[in-house]
Amino acid sequence: MSSRHAPRAGGPAPREPVVARSGVAPETSRFHLGGPGCWTMGPLSRETWAQRLGAFRASPSAFMAGPEGEDLGRDLLNELRSEKLSEQTKVSLLALSLEYPAQLWPDAAAAEAAATSLLDTLVLLPPRPSALRRPLLLAATTALAAGDALGPTSGASRRLLPLLLGLASGRDLGRGFGPASEQRPLQATACECLRELESCKPGLLGGCLGLLRSLLGQEGPVQPLSLLLALALRNTLVIQARARAGLQGLLVAGDMPAAGGPWNWTLAEEADAHLQPQAPSWPAAEEEECGLAVLEPSPEEARELRAAVAQLLDTSYLLTPVAQAQLLWLLGWALRGLRGQPPVLFKPQLVRLLGTAQLTLLHAVLALKAAFGEALFTAQDEALLLRRLTLAAQHPALPLPAHLFYLHCLLNFPENCPLGPTGEETAPLLLGPRLCRGLLPSLLHDPSALLAHLHLLCLLCAEDEEKEEKGQDWCPRHYLGELLAGLRQRAALHGGPRALATLCFQASYLVVHCLATQPTVLTPLTHGLARLYRARPALAPHFVDLLDRVGPELGEPLRTALRQEVVSRPGRDEALRWHLQILSKVADGKAPSATLGFLRAAAAHCTDWGLQQALLQVCRALLRAGVGEGLADLLQALARQLEDPDGRDRARLYYILLAHLAGPKLGVALGPSLAAPALTSSLVAENQGFAAVLMVQEAPAPMRLSVGPRRAAGPVPVLQLQVEVLEPLYSVELRFRVEGQLYAPLGAVHVPCLLPGRPCRPLHLPLQPRRPAPAQLAVRALFATPAGLTCHAHLPPLPVNFADLFLPFPRAPDGDKQGFFEELWDSCLPEGAESRLWCPLGPQGLEALVARHLDPFVVVAQPPTSYHVAIRLPPASRLLLRLEAAQGDGVPVALRTDDWAVLPLAGDYLRGLSAAV
Amino acid sequence: MAQRAVWLISHEPGTPLCGTVRFSRRYPTVEKRARVFNGTSYVPIPEDGPFLKALLFELRLLDDDKDFVESRDSCSHINKTSVYGLLVGGGELWPVVAFLKNNMIYACVPLVEQTLSPRPPLISISGISQSFELLFGIQDFLHLGQKNDTELNTKLNQLPDLLLQACPFGTLLDANLQNSLDSINFASVTHPQKQPAWKVGTYKGKPQVSISITEKVKSMQYDKQDIADTWQVVGAVTCKCDLEGIMPNVTISLSLPTNGSPLQDILVHPCVTSLDSAILTSSSIDAMDDSAFSGPYKFPFTPPLESFNLCYYTSQVPVPPILGFYQMKEEEIQVKITVNLKLHESVKNNFEFCEARIPFYNRGPITHVEYKVSFGQLEVFREKSLLIWIIGQKFPKSMEISLSGTVTFGAKSHEKQPFDEICIGGTAYLKLHFKILDYTLTGCYADQHSVQVFASGKPKINTHRKLISSDYYIWNSKAPAPITYGSLLL
Repeated sequence: MSSRHAPRAGGPAPREPVVARSGVAPETSRFHLGGPGCWTMGPLSRETWAQRLGAFRASPSAFMAGPEGEDLGRDLLNELRSEKLSEQTKVSLLALSLEYPAQLWPDAAAAEAAATSLLDTLVLLPPRPSALRRPLLLAATTALAAGDALGPTSGASRRLLPLLLGLASGRDLGRGFGPASEQRPLQATACECLRELESCKPGLLGGCLGLLRSLLGQEGPVQPLSLLLALALRNTLVIQARARAGLQGLLVAGDMPAAGGPWNWTLAEEADAHLQPQAPSWPAAEEEECGLAVLEPSPEEARELRAAVAQLLDTSYLLTPVAQAQLLWLLGWALRGLRGQPPVLFKPQLVRLLGTAQLTLLHAVLALKAAFGEALFTAQDEALLLRRLTLAAQHPALPLPAHLFYLHCLLNFPENCPLGPTGEETAPLLLGPRLCRGLLPSLLHDPSALLAHLHLLCLLCAEDEEKEEKGQDWCPRHYLGELLAGLRQRAALHGGPRALATLCFQASYLVVHCLATQPTVLTPLTHGLARLYRARPALAPHFVDLLDRVGPELGEPLRTALRQEVVSRPGRDEALRWHLQILSKVADGKAPSATLGFLRAAAAHCTDWGLQQALLQVCRALLRAGVGEGLADLLQALARQLEDPDGRDRARLYYILLAHLAGPKLGVALGPSLAAPALTSSLVAENQGFAAVLMVQEAPAPMRLSVGPRRAAGPVPVLQLQVEVLEPLYSVELRFRVEGQLYAPLGAVHVPCLLPGRPCRPLHLPLQPRRPAPAQLAVRALFATPAGLTCHAHLPPLPVNFADLFLPFPRAPDGDKQGFFEELWDSCLPEGAESRLWCPLGPQGLEALVARHLDPFVVVAQPPTSYHVAIRLPPASRLLLRLEAAQGDGVPVALRTDDWAVLPLAGDYLRGLSAAV
Repeated sequence: MAQRAVWLISHEPGTPLCGTVRFSRRYPTVEKRARVFNGTSYVPIPEDGPFLKALLFELRLLDDDKDFVESRDSCSHINKTSVYGLLVGGGELWPVVAFLKNNMIYACVPLVEQTLSPRPPLISISGISQSFELLFGIQDFLHLGQKNDTELNTKLNQLPDLLLQACPFGTLLDANLQNSLDSINFASVTHPQKQPAWKVGTYKGKPQVSISITEKVKSMQYDKQDIADTWQVVGAVTCKCDLEGIMPNVTISLSLPTNGSPLQDILVHPCVTSLDSAILTSSSIDAMDDSAFSGPYKFPFTPPLESFNLCYYTSQVPVPPILGFYQMKEEEIQVKITVNLKLHESVKNNFEFCEARIPFYNRGPITHVEYKVSFGQLEVFREKSLLIWIIGQKFPKSMEISLSGTVTFGAKSHEKQPFDEICIGGTAYLKLHFKILDYTLTGCYADQHSVQVFASGKPKINTHRKLISSDYYIWNSKAPAPITYGSLLL
């Protein structure tokens, strides 16, 4: 044994680790004794470092935030060159840097500096054997890769990469790298470092494939070189496929980069642009999806590739099982996207692999199965693989975690011809009941094992659904029922651990999830659960949780069963708290009298705040469900009788809500659910829920109002309003206010429902002018939204024009229209006023103008030249017009009114007529 | 295919934290890849403290499970594997591979080379099986020959160095940590060409091969009309080959006597180089018939240096070695028990030990026992509510022995007496513990002369056999008992 092991193996004192791993943080105060300065002043003793590292490990973030944090990284690098510390202590320091480089050297510059320092330490080591070379290589690699410093501009990278490659190829690097006995382990370590760098920067070794192949063919250590070559090969193929480039002779080219010469970063930089979540090497990801374009190598490249893969596979038996598995995953991935690369190369390995119990190997075989399917596994092979998997999932020599993983693999088995939907767990077609016999759940299983096996049983029951109950050797549903009953029995155990109850409900949930359509399963399950509640009401939270998560297939009958279970009990029960919790979940409109009876009986026993709140919570559920009769009495009684004022207030509030709100509104007002009431007042919590609902809220205008065509008829002027809405509105009430009290107050207009896109008949707004004058109407809308909120909105003001007030006179006697008009005309004076004015005419002439604007009011007409018009202006005015002897561009109008205040309005009106056309 | 971090946590119920992180190792270069691959679904590895808390909570190992906690107890929170999601730092760390064994929690987080949302199926994550192998490897290392806490601590202290060898960057190179320990010690040996990675040196010395066959027999006996008794033999063949040369070839054949029970469900060590298809397909899943392959079972292999399990098998022997019944009737504070055990005539009547343990769960301490045994003696453990019937080395000539008696119990106090979730009311069992040396129930043996070794020197061949009981239950036939599907006579 070499001398370097002396400190480890021998000595009277057994080797103790420098790093305290007790997990108990040493008191931090201990580290303040010497002040932060003590860390940097001179070399630290082994014990000091042990304490310091222990404190760091206990909580790196706390340590780094403390006074010593800043210096740790620097001190560590310095101490590595100290002659006073033992190698073992230095290995501990390096071990820390392997785990926490980001904390020690938080940015790329610091990482680069650290790597440089580590490399310096490495070359400065004396040529005797040392335990530090290997961890120094690992640490420098880690610092660069984890610190984002690896790259063509990094000096440390430019030093490390050729050094690693030199070591990996077994080149003599001089005495500085220790005695010959250390070369072999360092060669392996260098391969590992290169592999890690390649993992973090795919394509880094793309230029070294040929070199690695030749090394593998020579004396190099098989496992590190195989894994390195396989990874570099896979990455190169992926990168080249993405770039739609060929292999470009990469597999054969290959002397190593000249010492000191530039490293080839081309492929790595190519890959960098694509560094993104990689698709899994699993078939569900289609090739296009994972960006792995199909690469078509030239025949020569294909031959070289086959040779490389065969070379790797042929020596794979020399690798440890876990390394073999990695190799298979990598090569499977590498070859999957390649045309013309039959996967038969893997075939010779399979029989050997199928016989083992090694988890990673069987998993790797499944990965190959998924990657190549029928091309590698015939139907018989598939059947054999499935049998071996089934066997492994129950083999008594294997541990439980392995069983469960194999069971998972069975339910996600990559079948050659899958039938079911992808992405869901299903039992493979070939996995018949016979194969499954040993895989069925039993009460003796651990919880996760039971659930896993139960899932399989449920899948088999689901498959069995269409078939008749056969009754002979296979009756999975019966077995399922027995099993669930056993689980419930255990869950019912008073004082038993919660895990048993949880397991029972998880199993029930799983069964409902898989077998929701099978009443033969659900009916006994419902009854069984109701009995379980009877036996152990303390499981109420589990029942509530279950009801929240299952569909109506179980939810509906279970609600009914639980409600009956609860209300059939006397109200005074130790478990009243649980009963009320259940009732608040299951109380609905059905059989309210029994529920109310229970609550009345229970009320007397609700002596503390919590119980009272639970009781009121049930009342709340009943309110929401629209139960009115009987509930009002109960609430009134509670408002008087409850001891706690908060409870009384809440009961009263519910009573008021019940008395004043209609059913649907109440449902909305009480919201879907109330958060747990605040400790002091449930009213506050309740208010948060529905204050918004009960208050009228300001909203932006959801509608447009406009005045439609006039309808000059009837005793008073009536505005025809046209409405357009942007969203459904209900119970719309439009309120109008006249500015300046020109009209009598206006009544509101009600519309039950307004829907966008559906035409609404015009709304009529009767006006009662106090003076015949135009006005502005301020408009507000109150309405209910589909969500049940009541809102109000201000709409733009609505103008009422002078002409909107016009009404015709009652019809004149047929014979004497002219006389009727003249009588009106004469009656205006002397109190009234008279005027003459010029009414401009547009191109259409007088006849059209009258027809458009004045037609309802014409008493005597001699078209096209003469019209006598009589207009009634509520409340009690009249306006008379004679339009006679029209000219080309206008008509003279003689005008009389009994209300002189109308004159200017009439003048404006007439002058504006032609423009209004 | 790599690990982001690994932890060993001792479970310490009753202490404030309920556990202590005994070992942890993070892999920052893998973590860096995780951040890229997982994208927005990335959740960083927490520090030890928060991890411990979250893991113990998820595994239900905190002492506090009084109240319903939705994130743990919800019916839809279903875990069907040893892989968990932990709520830490506002995110969910997944997948966390973890299991509890001998009060130690083994945990690690594999790298997933894609986004985690939606969660990919475990089968598609290459790191998952590696996680299991790493944890199994650590478990084997810690418990191999470990006798006490001091030894455990010594081994825990070796772990950082071992993982530096076996898993320097988070990618597992060898799950056999003993091998890594040896490789540290063998480091000075010059490796010749084509040295297997699983064999770190070569043996120098007298050649010898040891083959040891250990059969465990388990049974569930009910003594009921409608429920079938079940029993099964599980065999393990352990080898230690001390042979010179880099790759010596060895072939071991397991043989059966003419009336022996065929070996089935054979799983072999990865060093086995080829397998007869009859061995590969011989399975307990199929109905047995006379055509079943009955050997000899040949296993050609190149052995590793250390002792290893060449293969495991199961077998269905025609009768259980000891057939018995157990009748227990509750009468207020006491129970009446009757036990009858019969050794099958074909079984070697020469035990290293044989005893029947009769536990009484969910009851108070034993206050009084009146009993009569036809053979052996009875020991009473009052506080543990346990009876042990020591049968000794031999059954009497009649091959049949019996015990009857009345056991009285005191008041139940929850702290001391054992709780069991299955043995409720009359549901009760007795468990047999026995060991027979130089004997297998299947008759399976490794013939010294059939061992072929292609290496220099003629090795000495040692063979050993033993039968031990494991999970050998006889259930009270007067009350319901848990059954497996195989027990249902439909």
